Amino acid sequence: MHQMILPVWGCAMSKQKNVFITRHEELPLKNSSTSLFLQIMVAIAVFLFAVTLSGVLSINAMLRNWNESILGSLTVQIMPSTNINPEKAIAETLAHQNKALDVLRNMNEIEKAEPLTDKQLEKLIQPWLGDGIDIKDLPVPRIIDVKIQKGADIDFMDLAYKLAQATPMASVDNHKLWLNKLIQFADGIKILALSVLALVIMITSGAIFYTTQTSLGLHKYTIEILHLMGAKDTYVAQQYAKCSAILALKGGLIGLAIAIPTIFGIASLAHQIEGGIISEAKLSGLDWMVIVGLPAFASLIAMLTAYYTVKQTLQRLM
Amino acid sequence: MLNDTNKTTAIIEMQNVGIRYGQGPEILSDIKLSLRKGSFHFLTGKSGAGKTSLLSMMYLSQKPSRGSVSVFGHNVNFANRDALAMLRRKIGVVFQDFRLIDHLSAFDNVALPLRVCGMDEREVKKRVMELLQWVELDRSIQATPATLSGGEKQRVAIARAVINRPELLLADEPTGNVDNDIAPKLMKLFVELNKLGTTVVIATHSEKLISDFAYPRLHLQNHGLKIFAPNDPSGMGVRHV
Repeated sequence: MHQMILPVWGCAMSKQKNVFITRHEELPLKNSSTSLFLQIMVAIAVFLFAVTLSGVLSINAMLRNWNESILGSLTVQIMPSTNINPEKAIAETLAHQNKALDVLRNMNEIEKAEPLTDKQLEKLIQPWLGDGIDIKDLPVPRIIDVKIQKGADIDFMDLAYKLAQATPMASVDNHKLWLNKLIQFADGIKILALSVLALVIMITSGAIFYTTQTSLGLHKYTIEILHLMGAKDTYVAQQYAKCSAILALKGGLIGLAIAIPTIFGIASLAHQIEGGIISEAKLSGLDWMVIVGLPAFASLIAMLTAYYTVKQTLQRLM
Repeated sequence: MLNDTNKTTAIIEMQNVGIRYGQGPEILSDIKLSLRKGSFHFLTGKSGAGKTSLLSMMYLSQKPSRGSVSVFGHNVNFANRDALAMLRRKIGVVFQDFRLIDHLSAFDNVALPLRVCGMDEREVKKRVMELLQWVELDRSIQATPATLSGGEKQRVAIARAVINRPELLLADEPTGNVDNDIAPKLMKLFVELNKLGTTVVIATHSEKLISDFAYPRLHLQNHGLKIFAPNDPSGMGVRHV
Protein backbone atom coordinates (compact mmCIF):
# COMPACT_ATOMS: atom_id res chain seq x y z
CA MET A 1 0.00 0.00 0.00
CA HIS A 2 2.62 2.45 1.03
CA GLN A 3 4.61 2.10 -2.16
CA MET A 4 1.56 3.11 -4.17
CA ILE A 5 0.52 5.98 -1.97
CA LEU A 6 4.01 7.41 -1.84
CA PRO A 7 3.89 9.21 -5.25
CA VAL A 8 0.62 10.82 -4.27
CA TRP A 9 2.37 12.87 -1.68
CA GLY A 10 5.43 13.42 -3.78
CA CYS A 11 7.70 13.52 -0.79
CA ALA A 12 10.92 11.63 -0.88
CA MET A 13 10.91 8.54 1.24
CA SER A 14 13.98 9.65 3.05
CA LYS A 15 15.78 7.49 5.52
CA GLN A 16 13.81 7.52 8.72
CA LYS A 17 15.31 9.65 11.38
CA ASN A 18 16.17 7.85 14.54
CA VAL A 19 13.65 9.80 16.56
CA PHE A 20 13.09 8.94 20.19
CA ILE A 21 9.36 8.53 20.65
CA THR A 22 7.86 8.68 24.09
CA ARG A 23 4.65 6.73 24.26
CA HIS A 24 2.00 8.59 26.21
CA GLU A 25 -0.86 6.82 27.92
CA GLU A 26 -4.06 7.14 25.93
CA LEU A 27 -5.95 7.63 29.16
CA PRO A 28 -4.02 10.05 31.42
CA LEU A 29 -5.19 8.34 34.57
CA LYS A 30 -2.07 8.78 36.71
CA ASN A 31 -2.32 12.54 36.71
CA SER A 32 -6.07 12.85 36.92
CA SER A 33 -7.81 14.46 39.87
CA THR A 34 -9.00 11.11 41.17
CA SER A 35 -5.57 9.48 41.30
CA LEU A 36 -4.36 11.44 44.34
CA PHE A 37 -7.60 10.64 46.15
CA LEU A 38 -7.14 6.95 45.34
CA GLN A 39 -3.58 6.93 46.68
CA ILE A 40 -4.51 8.70 49.92
CA MET A 41 -7.49 6.42 50.44
CA VAL A 42 -5.48 3.25 49.86
CA ALA A 43 -2.72 4.58 52.15
CA ILE A 44 -5.27 5.05 54.95
CA ALA A 45 -6.89 1.68 54.25
CA VAL A 46 -3.53 -0.16 54.29
CA PHE A 47 -2.53 1.66 57.48
CA LEU A 48 -5.76 0.62 59.23
CA PHE A 49 -5.54 -2.85 57.76
CA ALA A 50 -1.93 -3.35 58.85
CA VAL A 51 -2.53 -2.14 62.42
CA THR A 52 -5.73 -4.18 62.80
CA LEU A 53 -4.19 -7.24 61.17
CA SER A 54 -1.17 -7.04 63.46
CA GLY A 55 -3.67 -7.01 66.36
CA VAL A 56 -5.48 -10.06 64.99
CA LEU A 57 -2.23 -11.92 64.40
CA SER A 58 -0.98 -11.02 67.89
CA ILE A 59 -4.20 -12.28 69.42
CA ASN A 60 -3.83 -15.46 67.38
CA ALA A 61 -0.30 -15.94 68.67
CA MET A 62 -1.52 -15.29 72.21
CA LEU A 63 -4.36 -17.81 71.84
CA ARG A 64 -1.92 -20.35 70.47
CA ASN A 65 0.35 -19.87 73.49
CA TRP A 66 -2.54 -20.04 75.90
CA ASN A 67 -3.92 -23.18 74.30
CA GLU A 68 -0.52 -24.82 74.51
CA SER A 69 -0.29 -23.89 78.18
CA ILE A 70 -3.72 -25.41 78.83
CA LEU A 71 -2.78 -28.64 77.14
CA GLY A 72 0.79 -28.85 78.42
CA SER A 73 0.85 -27.63 81.98
CA LEU A 74 -0.93 -27.35 85.29
CA THR A 75 -0.26 -25.82 88.67
CA VAL A 76 -0.42 -27.50 92.05
CA GLN A 77 -0.89 -25.13 94.93
CA ILE A 78 0.13 -26.01 98.50
CA MET A 79 -1.74 -23.94 101.08
CA PRO A 80 0.50 -22.52 103.83
CA SER A 81 0.49 -24.20 107.26
CA THR A 82 -1.48 -22.36 109.94
CA ASN A 83 1.13 -23.10 112.62
CA ILE A 84 1.71 -19.86 114.63
CA ASN A 85 5.44 -20.54 114.75
CA PRO A 86 6.71 -19.16 111.43
CA GLU A 87 9.69 -21.52 111.17
CA LYS A 88 7.53 -24.57 111.89
CA ALA A 89 4.89 -23.31 109.49
CA ILE A 90 7.45 -23.08 106.69
CA ALA A 91 8.82 -26.52 107.45
CA GLU A 92 5.30 -28.02 107.48
CA THR A 93 4.38 -26.31 104.23
CA LEU A 94 7.59 -27.57 102.57
CA ALA A 95 6.87 -31.07 103.86
CA HIS A 96 3.42 -30.97 102.25
CA GLN A 97 5.05 -29.70 99.05
CA ASN A 98 7.50 -32.64 99.04
CA LYS A 99 4.66 -35.12 99.46
CA ALA A 100 2.85 -33.59 96.53
CA LEU A 101 6.09 -33.64 94.48
CA ASP A 102 6.52 -37.34 95.25
CA VAL A 103 3.04 -38.04 93.88
CA LEU A 104 3.58 -35.95 90.79
CA ARG A 105 7.04 -37.28 89.96
CA ASN A 106 5.80 -40.88 90.22
CA MET A 107 3.16 -40.34 87.54
CA ASN A 108 4.07 -41.41 83.97
CA GLU A 109 1.98 -38.65 82.39
CA ILE A 110 4.03 -35.95 84.09
CA GLU A 111 7.24 -34.88 82.39
CA LYS A 112 8.45 -32.44 85.00
CA ALA A 113 7.26 -31.09 88.36
CA GLU A 114 9.28 -28.22 89.83
CA PRO A 115 8.40 -26.07 92.84
CA LEU A 116 8.77 -22.34 92.35
CA THR A 117 11.78 -20.95 94.23
CA ASP A 118 11.46 -18.22 96.86
CA LYS A 119 12.74 -15.68 94.35
CA GLN A 120 10.15 -16.74 91.76
CA LEU A 121 7.38 -16.49 94.34
CA GLU A 122 8.60 -13.05 95.43
CA LYS A 123 8.53 -11.94 91.80
CA LEU A 124 4.98 -13.21 91.42
CA ILE A 125 3.66 -11.20 94.39
CA GLN A 126 5.88 -8.19 93.77
CA PRO A 127 3.22 -6.30 91.73
CA TRP A 128 0.88 -6.39 94.72
CA LEU A 129 3.25 -6.09 97.71
CA GLY A 130 6.15 -4.16 96.18
CA ASP A 131 9.94 -4.63 96.48
CA GLY A 132 11.95 -5.77 99.51
CA ILE A 133 9.61 -8.44 100.79
CA ASP A 134 10.82 -11.72 102.26
CA ILE A 135 8.62 -14.68 101.36
CA LYS A 136 9.58 -16.44 104.58
CA ASP A 137 7.78 -13.78 106.58
CA LEU A 138 4.50 -14.31 104.75
CA PRO A 139 1.95 -17.13 104.81
CA VAL A 140 1.87 -17.51 101.05
CA PRO A 141 1.03 -20.74 99.24
CA ARG A 142 3.76 -22.73 97.52
CA ILE A 143 3.40 -23.40 93.83
CA ILE A 144 4.51 -26.44 91.85
CA ASP A 145 4.79 -25.89 88.11
CA VAL A 146 3.88 -29.15 86.34
CA LYS A 147 4.67 -29.96 82.74
CA ILE A 148 2.63 -32.77 81.23
CA GLN A 149 4.08 -35.27 78.75
CA LYS A 150 3.28 -34.35 75.18
CA GLY A 151 0.16 -36.17 74.02
CA ALA A 152 -0.55 -37.60 77.49
CA ASP A 153 -4.23 -37.89 78.38
CA ILE A 154 -4.15 -37.02 82.06
CA ASP A 155 -7.13 -37.71 84.34
CA PHE A 156 -7.37 -34.54 86.47
CA MET A 157 -9.89 -36.09 88.88
CA ASP A 158 -7.55 -39.01 89.55
CA LEU A 159 -4.63 -36.64 90.03
CA ALA A 160 -6.61 -34.50 92.47
CA TYR A 161 -7.61 -37.64 94.41
CA LYS A 162 -4.01 -38.89 94.65
CA LEU A 163 -2.76 -35.50 95.80
CA ALA A 164 -5.54 -35.27 98.40
CA GLN A 165 -4.49 -38.70 99.69
CA ALA A 166 -0.89 -37.51 100.00
CA THR A 167 -1.60 -34.10 101.51
CA PRO A 168 -4.83 -32.29 102.26
CA MET A 169 -3.11 -28.94 101.63
CA ALA A 170 -2.69 -29.52 97.82
CA SER A 171 -5.09 -28.34 95.16
CA VAL A 172 -4.86 -28.66 91.37
CA ASP A 173 -5.42 -25.79 89.00
CA ASN A 174 -5.37 -26.79 85.33
CA HIS A 175 -5.93 -23.12 84.22
CA LYS A 176 -8.89 -24.12 82.11
CA LEU A 177 -11.51 -22.00 83.80
CA TRP A 178 -9.79 -18.62 83.62
CA LEU A 179 -8.03 -19.36 80.35
CA ASN A 180 -11.32 -20.31 78.71
CA LYS A 181 -12.76 -16.95 79.68
CA LEU A 182 -9.69 -15.17 78.33
CA ILE A 183 -9.85 -17.16 75.12
CA GLN A 184 -13.53 -16.30 74.70
CA PHE A 185 -12.68 -12.64 75.23
CA ALA A 186 -9.78 -12.82 72.77
CA ASP A 187 -11.97 -14.62 70.23
CA GLY A 188 -14.51 -11.81 70.52
CA ILE A 189 -11.84 -9.18 69.89
CA LYS A 190 -10.57 -11.23 66.96
CA ILE A 191 -14.02 -11.40 65.35
CA LEU A 192 -14.40 -7.65 65.87
CA ALA A 193 -11.00 -7.00 64.27
CA LEU A 194 -11.81 -9.29 61.34
CA SER A 195 -15.07 -7.39 60.86
CA VAL A 196 -13.06 -4.16 60.75
CA LEU A 197 -10.77 -5.71 58.12
CA ALA A 198 -13.76 -6.81 56.03
CA LEU A 199 -15.19 -3.31 56.36
CA VAL A 200 -11.88 -1.73 55.27
CA ILE A 201 -11.79 -3.99 52.19
CA MET A 202 -15.41 -3.15 51.35
CA ILE A 203 -14.91 0.60 51.78
CA THR A 204 -11.70 0.52 49.71
CA SER A 205 -13.33 -1.48 46.93
CA GLY A 206 -16.37 0.80 47.02
CA ALA A 207 -14.20 3.91 46.81
CA ILE A 208 -12.21 2.45 43.91
CA PHE A 209 -15.51 1.58 42.22
CA TYR A 210 -16.81 5.16 42.46
CA THR A 211 -13.41 6.69 41.64
CA THR A 212 -13.23 4.55 38.52
CA GLN A 213 -16.77 5.47 37.50
CA THR A 214 -15.99 9.17 37.95
CA SER A 215 -12.84 8.76 35.92
CA LEU A 216 -14.76 6.98 33.16
CA GLY A 217 -17.06 9.98 33.00
CA LEU A 218 -14.08 12.35 32.82
CA HIS A 219 -12.46 10.38 30.01
CA LYS A 220 -15.63 9.52 28.11
CA TYR A 221 -14.51 11.41 24.99
CA THR A 222 -11.18 9.58 24.78
CA ILE A 223 -12.80 6.21 25.47
CA GLU A 224 -15.31 6.82 22.67
CA ILE A 225 -12.44 7.51 20.28
CA LEU A 226 -10.64 4.37 21.42
CA HIS A 227 -13.81 2.38 20.77
CA LEU A 228 -14.12 3.92 17.32
CA MET A 229 -10.54 2.86 16.60
CA GLY A 230 -11.54 -0.72 17.41
CA ALA A 231 -10.55 -0.96 21.05
CA LYS A 232 -12.41 -3.59 23.02
CA ASP A 233 -13.68 -2.88 26.53
CA THR A 234 -10.85 -5.08 27.77
CA TYR A 235 -8.30 -2.65 26.29
CA VAL A 236 -9.75 0.24 28.31
CA ALA A 237 -10.26 -1.93 31.40
CA GLN A 238 -6.62 -3.08 31.30
CA GLN A 239 -5.40 0.53 31.28
CA TYR A 240 -7.56 1.30 34.30
CA ALA A 241 -6.52 -1.90 36.06
CA LYS A 242 -2.81 -1.22 35.46
CA CYS A 243 -3.04 2.37 36.63
CA SER A 244 -5.15 1.52 39.69
CA ALA A 245 -2.74 -1.25 40.63
CA ILE A 246 0.26 1.11 40.46
CA LEU A 247 -1.50 3.91 42.36
CA ALA A 248 -2.76 1.48 45.02
CA LEU A 249 0.72 0.01 45.38
CA LYS A 250 2.20 3.48 45.92
CA GLY A 251 -0.55 4.42 48.38
CA GLY A 252 -0.21 1.05 50.09
CA LEU A 253 3.54 1.46 50.57
CA ILE A 254 2.97 4.88 52.13
CA GLY A 255 0.33 3.39 54.45
CA LEU A 256 2.66 0.53 55.37
CA ALA A 257 5.54 2.93 56.02
CA ILE A 258 3.36 4.70 58.59
CA ALA A 259 1.87 1.48 59.98
CA ILE A 260 5.14 -0.30 60.82
CA PRO A 261 6.39 2.28 63.36
CA THR A 262 2.86 2.45 64.74
CA ILE A 263 2.78 -1.32 65.27
CA PHE A 264 6.17 -1.16 66.99
CA GLY A 265 4.90 1.72 69.12
CA ILE A 266 1.81 -0.25 70.20
CA ALA A 267 3.96 -3.34 70.85
CA SER A 268 6.33 -1.27 72.95
CA LEU A 269 3.40 0.11 75.00
CA ALA A 270 2.01 -3.41 75.41
CA HIS A 271 5.34 -4.69 76.71
CA GLN A 272 5.29 -2.06 79.40
CA ILE A 273 2.06 -3.58 80.76
CA GLU A 274 3.02 -5.93 83.57
CA GLY A 275 1.54 -9.40 83.98
CA GLY A 276 3.24 -11.41 81.29
CA ILE A 277 0.10 -11.99 79.24
CA ILE A 278 0.57 -9.29 76.61
CA SER A 279 4.25 -10.11 76.17
CA GLU A 280 3.25 -13.42 74.63
CA ALA A 281 1.53 -11.60 71.75
CA LYS A 282 4.56 -11.45 69.47
CA LEU A 283 4.33 -11.40 65.68
CA SER A 284 6.15 -14.21 63.92
CA GLY A 285 8.21 -13.86 60.76
CA LEU A 286 5.27 -15.19 58.76
CA ASP A 287 2.97 -12.62 60.36
CA TRP A 288 5.35 -9.84 59.30
CA MET A 289 5.47 -11.22 55.78
CA VAL A 290 1.67 -11.02 55.63
CA ILE A 291 1.71 -7.42 56.87
CA VAL A 292 4.49 -6.39 54.47
CA GLY A 293 2.50 -8.01 51.64
CA LEU A 294 -0.51 -5.76 52.28
CA PRO A 295 0.36 -3.12 49.64
CA ALA A 296 0.51 -5.88 47.03
CA PHE A 297 -2.84 -7.18 48.27
CA ALA A 298 -4.33 -3.66 48.07
CA SER A 299 -2.88 -3.35 44.58
CA LEU A 300 -4.55 -6.61 43.54
CA ILE A 301 -7.91 -5.54 45.01
CA ALA A 302 -7.66 -2.16 43.23
CA MET A 303 -6.70 -3.80 39.95
CA LEU A 304 -9.57 -6.29 39.99
CA THR A 305 -12.11 -3.72 41.18
CA ALA A 306 -11.10 -1.21 38.51
CA TYR A 307 -11.06 -3.86 35.78
CA TYR A 308 -14.54 -5.19 36.48
CA THR A 309 -15.96 -1.72 37.17
CA VAL A 310 -14.80 -0.54 33.73
CA LYS A 311 -16.13 -3.64 31.99
CA GLN A 312 -19.48 -3.38 33.72
CA THR A 313 -19.83 0.40 33.33
CA LEU A 314 -18.87 0.47 29.65
CA GLN A 315 -21.34 -2.30 28.97
CA ARG A 316 -24.04 -0.22 30.61
CA LEU A 317 -23.15 3.28 29.41
CA MET A 318 -21.78 3.02 25.88
CA MET B 1 -21.45 2.05 -12.24
CA LEU B 2 -24.48 1.79 -10.03
CA ASN B 3 -23.98 -1.87 -9.48
CA ASP B 4 -24.26 -1.47 -5.72
CA THR B 5 -26.53 -4.34 -4.98
CA ASN B 6 -24.20 -7.25 -5.44
CA LYS B 7 -24.96 -8.92 -2.14
CA THR B 8 -22.11 -11.37 -2.32
CA THR B 9 -19.53 -8.60 -2.02
CA ALA B 10 -21.58 -6.02 -0.10
CA ILE B 11 -19.55 -4.19 2.50
CA ILE B 12 -22.54 -2.31 3.88
CA GLU B 13 -26.14 -3.31 3.52
CA MET B 14 -29.08 -1.41 4.97
CA GLN B 15 -32.69 -2.58 4.87
CA ASN B 16 -35.60 -0.25 5.77
CA VAL B 17 -33.37 1.66 8.14
CA GLY B 18 -34.78 4.52 10.16
CA ILE B 19 -33.08 6.76 12.70
CA ARG B 20 -34.76 8.95 15.26
CA TYR B 21 -33.41 10.67 18.35
CA GLY B 22 -35.59 10.31 21.40
CA GLN B 23 -39.26 10.76 20.60
CA GLY B 24 -38.53 13.11 17.68
CA PRO B 25 -39.35 12.50 14.01
CA GLU B 26 -37.20 10.18 11.93
CA ILE B 27 -34.10 11.86 10.54
CA LEU B 28 -33.70 9.04 8.05
CA SER B 29 -36.55 6.82 6.87
CA ASP B 30 -36.64 3.55 4.98
CA ILE B 31 -33.04 3.70 3.85
CA LYS B 32 -32.09 0.83 1.58
CA LEU B 33 -28.49 0.67 0.54
CA SER B 34 -25.92 -1.84 -0.55
CA LEU B 35 -22.31 -0.78 -1.10
CA ARG B 36 -20.16 -3.28 -2.91
CA LYS B 37 -16.56 -3.92 -2.05
CA GLY B 38 -14.16 -1.51 -3.70
CA SER B 39 -16.78 1.11 -4.55
CA PHE B 40 -16.29 4.87 -4.15
CA HIS B 41 -19.19 7.19 -3.29
CA PHE B 42 -19.73 10.75 -2.33
CA LEU B 43 -22.39 11.39 0.28
CA THR B 44 -24.23 14.66 -0.14
CA GLY B 45 -27.21 16.46 1.27
CA LYS B 46 -28.06 19.70 2.97
CA SER B 47 -26.95 20.39 6.54
CA GLY B 48 -29.17 18.39 8.87
CA ALA B 49 -30.13 15.93 6.13
CA GLY B 50 -28.63 13.08 8.14
CA LYS B 51 -25.20 12.58 6.55
CA THR B 52 -23.43 12.26 9.88
CA SER B 53 -26.15 9.94 11.23
CA LEU B 54 -25.81 7.70 8.19
CA LEU B 55 -22.02 7.68 8.50
CA SER B 56 -22.21 6.96 12.23
CA MET B 57 -24.26 3.85 11.47
CA MET B 58 -21.63 2.84 8.93
CA TYR B 59 -18.80 3.20 11.44
CA LEU B 60 -20.88 1.37 14.04
CA SER B 61 -21.21 4.21 16.48
CA GLN B 62 -24.96 4.10 16.28
CA LYS B 63 -27.54 1.40 15.81
CA PRO B 64 -30.65 2.08 13.72
CA SER B 65 -33.98 2.81 15.41
CA ARG B 66 -35.48 0.31 13.01
CA GLY B 67 -34.43 -1.82 10.09
CA SER B 68 -31.23 -3.79 9.81
CA VAL B 69 -27.65 -2.83 9.06
CA SER B 70 -25.02 -5.33 7.99
CA VAL B 71 -21.35 -4.44 7.84
CA PHE B 72 -18.89 -6.90 6.32
CA GLY B 73 -21.74 -9.42 6.33
CA HIS B 74 -22.42 -9.09 10.07
CA ASN B 75 -25.81 -7.85 11.23
CA VAL B 76 -24.80 -5.14 13.68
CA ASN B 77 -28.20 -5.20 15.38
CA PHE B 78 -27.24 -8.47 17.00
CA ALA B 79 -23.45 -8.15 17.23
CA ASN B 80 -21.92 -8.06 20.72
CA ARG B 81 -19.46 -5.37 21.83
CA ASP B 82 -16.32 -7.36 21.08
CA ALA B 83 -17.59 -8.29 17.62
CA LEU B 84 -18.35 -4.62 16.91
CA ALA B 85 -14.82 -3.70 18.01
CA MET B 86 -13.34 -6.25 15.62
CA LEU B 87 -15.47 -4.85 12.77
CA ARG B 88 -14.41 -1.28 13.60
CA ARG B 89 -10.78 -2.30 13.11
CA LYS B 90 -11.54 -2.72 9.42
CA ILE B 91 -13.01 0.77 9.17
CA GLY B 92 -11.10 4.04 8.91
CA VAL B 93 -12.97 7.21 9.76
CA VAL B 94 -12.09 10.85 9.17
CA PHE B 95 -14.34 12.93 11.37
CA GLN B 96 -15.49 16.41 10.52
CA ASP B 97 -14.24 17.63 13.91
CA PHE B 98 -11.11 15.39 13.63
CA ARG B 99 -11.68 13.80 17.06
CA LEU B 100 -8.01 13.77 17.94
CA ILE B 101 -7.01 13.12 21.52
CA ASP B 102 -5.71 16.42 22.82
CA HIS B 103 -3.06 15.16 25.23
CA LEU B 104 -1.52 12.82 22.69
CA SER B 105 1.08 13.79 20.14
CA ALA B 106 0.46 13.54 16.40
CA PHE B 107 2.47 10.31 16.46
CA ASP B 108 0.40 8.76 19.26
CA ASN B 109 -2.87 9.82 17.64
CA VAL B 110 -1.93 8.20 14.36
CA ALA B 111 -0.64 5.09 16.20
CA LEU B 112 -3.95 4.50 18.03
CA PRO B 113 -5.56 2.03 15.58
CA LEU B 114 -2.37 -0.05 15.52
CA ARG B 115 -1.92 -0.06 19.27
CA VAL B 116 -5.49 -1.11 20.03
CA CYS B 117 -4.82 -4.13 17.79
CA GLY B 118 -1.78 -4.93 19.92
CA MET B 119 0.81 -4.37 17.20
CA ASP B 120 4.47 -4.56 18.16
CA GLU B 121 5.76 -1.10 19.08
CA ARG B 122 8.70 -1.23 16.61
CA GLU B 123 6.31 -1.95 13.75
CA VAL B 124 4.01 0.83 15.00
CA LYS B 125 6.89 3.29 14.94
CA LYS B 126 7.95 2.25 11.45
CA ARG B 127 4.48 2.55 9.95
CA VAL B 128 3.51 5.78 11.69
CA MET B 129 6.77 7.52 10.83
CA GLU B 130 6.35 6.54 7.19
CA LEU B 131 2.83 7.82 7.01
CA LEU B 132 3.61 11.05 8.87
CA GLN B 133 6.35 11.68 6.34
CA TRP B 134 3.87 11.17 3.53
CA VAL B 135 1.42 13.65 5.00
CA GLU B 136 4.33 16.04 5.52
CA LEU B 137 4.01 16.05 9.29
CA ASP B 138 7.29 14.35 10.10
CA ARG B 139 8.49 17.56 11.72
CA SER B 140 5.47 17.64 14.01
CA ILE B 141 5.41 14.09 15.33
CA GLN B 142 5.60 15.20 18.97
CA ALA B 143 3.21 18.14 18.54
CA THR B 144 -0.13 17.93 20.27
CA PRO B 145 -3.32 18.87 18.37
CA ALA B 146 -3.55 22.19 20.21
CA THR B 147 -0.35 23.36 18.50
CA LEU B 148 -1.32 22.14 15.03
CA SER B 149 -3.19 24.17 12.41
CA GLY B 150 -6.60 23.03 11.11
CA GLY B 151 -5.04 21.54 8.01
CA GLU B 152 -2.38 19.71 10.02
CA LYS B 153 -5.01 18.27 12.34
CA GLN B 154 -6.95 17.15 9.29
CA ARG B 155 -3.89 15.36 7.96
CA VAL B 156 -3.28 13.68 11.31
CA ALA B 157 -6.92 12.56 11.32
CA ILE B 158 -6.57 11.18 7.80
CA ALA B 159 -3.30 9.45 8.60
CA ARG B 160 -4.99 7.83 11.61
CA ALA B 161 -7.88 6.68 9.41
CA VAL B 162 -5.67 5.00 6.81
CA ILE B 163 -2.78 3.72 8.96
CA ASN B 164 -4.41 0.34 9.43
CA ARG B 165 -5.19 -0.12 5.74
CA PRO B 166 -8.98 -0.13 6.28
CA GLU B 167 -11.37 -2.11 4.12
CA LEU B 168 -13.89 0.70 4.47
CA LEU B 169 -12.93 4.37 4.63
CA LEU B 170 -15.53 6.89 5.74
CA ALA B 171 -14.74 10.58 5.66
CA ASP B 172 -16.91 13.45 6.82
CA GLU B 173 -15.86 16.65 4.99
CA PRO B 174 -12.23 15.54 4.81
CA THR B 175 -11.12 18.46 2.69
CA GLY B 176 -13.11 21.11 4.50
CA ASN B 177 -10.25 22.52 6.55
CA VAL B 178 -7.27 22.02 4.31
CA ASP B 179 -5.63 24.39 1.87
CA ASN B 180 -6.64 24.27 -1.80
CA ASP B 181 -3.36 22.67 -2.80
CA ILE B 182 -3.61 19.95 -0.13
CA ALA B 183 -7.22 18.94 -0.89
CA PRO B 184 -6.45 17.30 -4.28
CA LYS B 185 -3.56 15.40 -2.67
CA LEU B 186 -5.88 14.05 0.00
CA MET B 187 -8.42 13.07 -2.63
CA LYS B 188 -5.70 11.31 -4.60
CA LEU B 189 -4.80 9.41 -1.47
CA PHE B 190 -8.39 8.22 -1.14
CA VAL B 191 -8.48 7.29 -4.81
CA GLU B 192 -5.25 5.29 -4.47
CA LEU B 193 -6.65 3.49 -1.45
CA ASN B 194 -9.81 2.74 -3.43
CA LYS B 195 -7.74 1.32 -6.25
CA LEU B 196 -6.17 -0.99 -3.70
CA GLY B 197 -9.62 -2.32 -2.78
CA THR B 198 -10.77 -0.02 -0.03
CA THR B 199 -14.43 0.94 -0.17
CA VAL B 200 -14.70 4.71 0.23
CA VAL B 201 -17.58 6.98 1.24
CA ILE B 202 -16.88 10.69 1.47
CA ALA B 203 -19.44 13.12 2.84
CA THR B 204 -18.97 16.53 1.27
CA HIS B 205 -20.63 19.79 0.33
CA SER B 206 -17.99 20.56 -2.28
CA GLU B 207 -19.50 20.58 -5.77
CA LYS B 208 -16.01 21.05 -7.18
CA LEU B 209 -14.81 17.87 -5.56
CA ILE B 210 -17.81 15.96 -6.90
CA SER B 211 -17.34 17.32 -10.41
CA ASP B 212 -13.57 16.72 -10.39
CA PHE B 213 -13.91 13.05 -9.52
CA ALA B 214 -16.30 10.86 -11.42
CA TYR B 215 -17.88 8.82 -8.70
CA PRO B 216 -21.53 8.15 -7.88
CA ARG B 217 -23.24 10.20 -5.27
CA LEU B 218 -25.45 9.11 -2.37
CA HIS B 219 -27.78 12.03 -1.82
CA LEU B 220 -29.91 12.47 1.29
CA GLN B 221 -33.13 14.39 0.74
CA ASN B 222 -36.47 14.42 2.53
CA HIS B 223 -35.25 11.75 4.96
CA GLY B 224 -34.60 9.36 2.06
CA LEU B 225 -31.63 8.34 -0.04
CA LYS B 226 -31.10 8.63 -3.79
CA ILE B 227 -28.11 7.54 -5.82
CA PHE B 228 -26.88 9.84 -8.58
CA ALA B 229 -24.70 8.63 -11.40
CA PRO B 230 -21.22 10.17 -11.70
CA ASN B 231 -21.18 13.73 -12.99
CA ASP B 232 -24.94 13.95 -12.87
CA PRO B 233 -25.63 16.99 -10.71
CA SER B 234 -29.04 17.51 -12.29
CA GLY B 235 -30.36 14.26 -10.96
CA MET B 236 -30.85 12.79 -14.41
CA GLY B 237 -30.51 9.07 -14.13
CA VAL B 238 -31.35 9.14 -10.48
CA ARG B 239 -31.94 5.79 -9.02
CA HIS B 240 -34.05 5.74 -5.89
CA VAL B 241 -32.69 3.30 -3.42
